[in-house]
Amino acid sequence: MQASRARLFKEYKEVQREKVADPDIQLACDDTNIFKWTALIKGPSETPYEGGVFQLAFAVPEQYPLQPPQVRFLTKIFHPNVHFKTGEICLDILKNAWSPAWTLQSVCRAIIALMAHPEPDSPLNCDSGNLLRSGDIRGFHSMARMYTRLAAMPKKG
Amino acid sequence: MISDSITSASISSLIPNNNNGRDLGKKKRARTAKLKQCKLDVRREQWLSQGAVKNKGCKEEPNGVVQTRKANNRSLDNLEMRPGGEEDDRSVHHHDSDSESPSNSPTSLTSSVLGTNDSGTNFTGSSSSSSSSSSSSGGCCSGSITEEEEEGDDGCLDDWEAVADALAADEKPQNPCSESHPEHQSIGKLVSPCQMTHGPGLGIGISKQVPRASGNTRAWRPDDAFRPQSLPNLSKQLSLPNSNRQHYGCGGVPWACNNVMPAPSSCPICYEDLDFTDSSFLPCLCGFRLCLFCHKRILEEDGRCPGCRKPYERNAVEAEPSVHGGSLTFRLARSCSMITRS
Repeated sequence: MQASRARLFKEYKEVQREKVADPDIQLACDDTNIFKWTALIKGPSETPYEGGVFQLAFAVPEQYPLQPPQVRFLTKIFHPNVHFKTGEICLDILKNAWSPAWTLQSVCRAIIALMAHPEPDSPLNCDSGNLLRSGDIRGFHSMARMYTRLAAMPKKG
Repeated sequence: MISDSITSASISSLIPNNNNGRDLGKKKRARTAKLKQCKLDVRREQWLSQGAVKNKGCKEEPNGVVQTRKANNRSLDNLEMRPGGEEDDRSVHHHDSDSESPSNSPTSLTSSVLGTNDSGTNFTGSSSSSSSSSSSSGGCCSGSITEEEEEGDDGCLDDWEAVADALAADEKPQNPCSESHPEHQSIGKLVSPCQMTHGPGLGIGISKQVPRASGNTRAWRPDDAFRPQSLPNLSKQLSLPNSNRQHYGCGGVPWACNNVMPAPSSCPICYEDLDFTDSSFLPCLCGFRLCLFCHKRILEEDGRCPGCRKPYERNAVEAEPSVHGGSLTFRLARSCSMITRS
């Protein structure tokens, strides 16, 4: 409990210090609860998510950093490894491959990497996974692009 | 008689203060009526105690400076002064006389000679409080800088009360005022709040000063009475966070130890600084370093190295010394594990 809190405080300080370092990630801690974080990540370039801003919600367990944080997308995203309705993320480092050496910032980086390199063989979004596995890259791209425009891009007008 | 004109001035300024709600004409009539009465009273009383008043007026400063020597004089003055002042008070302004009546009790007069003035106006109260106030007021009356430095606001305020007392008792407003100015400036230089409370009182007028003094005493009475207790309380409060911190440090032993000790780098898990023992601790062949506390916690959970995600070898700690060939690291590791256990 104390350990996780102290560690999160340090991470918070680190985030405040290196805010400019990674322009693709904006990590912010809840004002009242240091175990609740939100992050805004930019969709990686040369992907259908480019230009979109995706919001992530972190729920940090008290055993953190020994236990991984629970992360989910608050922004709708069409991605084989993200549950379309709940935003749950299937990422090994958030499950069994978690290491206490990871930070919330590095989790964000890993999620950005996952957006750029989807893993259709362990899908949470079966439609998306099936499109990719059947080789319909174009179909996948257009779907993902549509949802990015719908959900992750600021509406004009 | 100078004193008469002065008292009349003071009384005239007193009465409008009392009858704030009424119109001016009524005030004036009442004022003149009361003035005559009061004048007579005052004249009688002051004629009786004139010598004492003058003595006191002159001695206010010297008394302050060399108090112990002139204590006897002063006590005499006070004893002489007291009845006159009180009668005046009763006739003119009631709240003051109310607050002063307890000082009539012979105990306060005899027991705390120096503090009679203060205890009279400040405290309706017990002999203990009056005695404490007397000691404090003695300090401030004497204007000794050491006392002032120690007591700060309180001492200064007592001084102000003493001045107010002098005003109320003597009914000789200008003299104490003119006295109080240098007195306060000399004493109050150290403490600005004193002058702040004092300044407006003077500016508004003597009539306001006296009620104000009582108001002040009312506001400060708890502080004065509790002063001996509150000071230690303050120190307790100051010491509380420290003790808490210490307690916290004791609770989370390894953390606090890491926190205190300077180290070259920090543990990648808890971000606490690595001390010498930690930095000489190599639990995994991959070279991933972490503090012993986190290592122990990881061993309790899944027991995998955060760096390479391979399970820690239980005998890794024992294996390390053989790799390095030194018994020093071994011993250090042992001692540290003891620390983490405690």
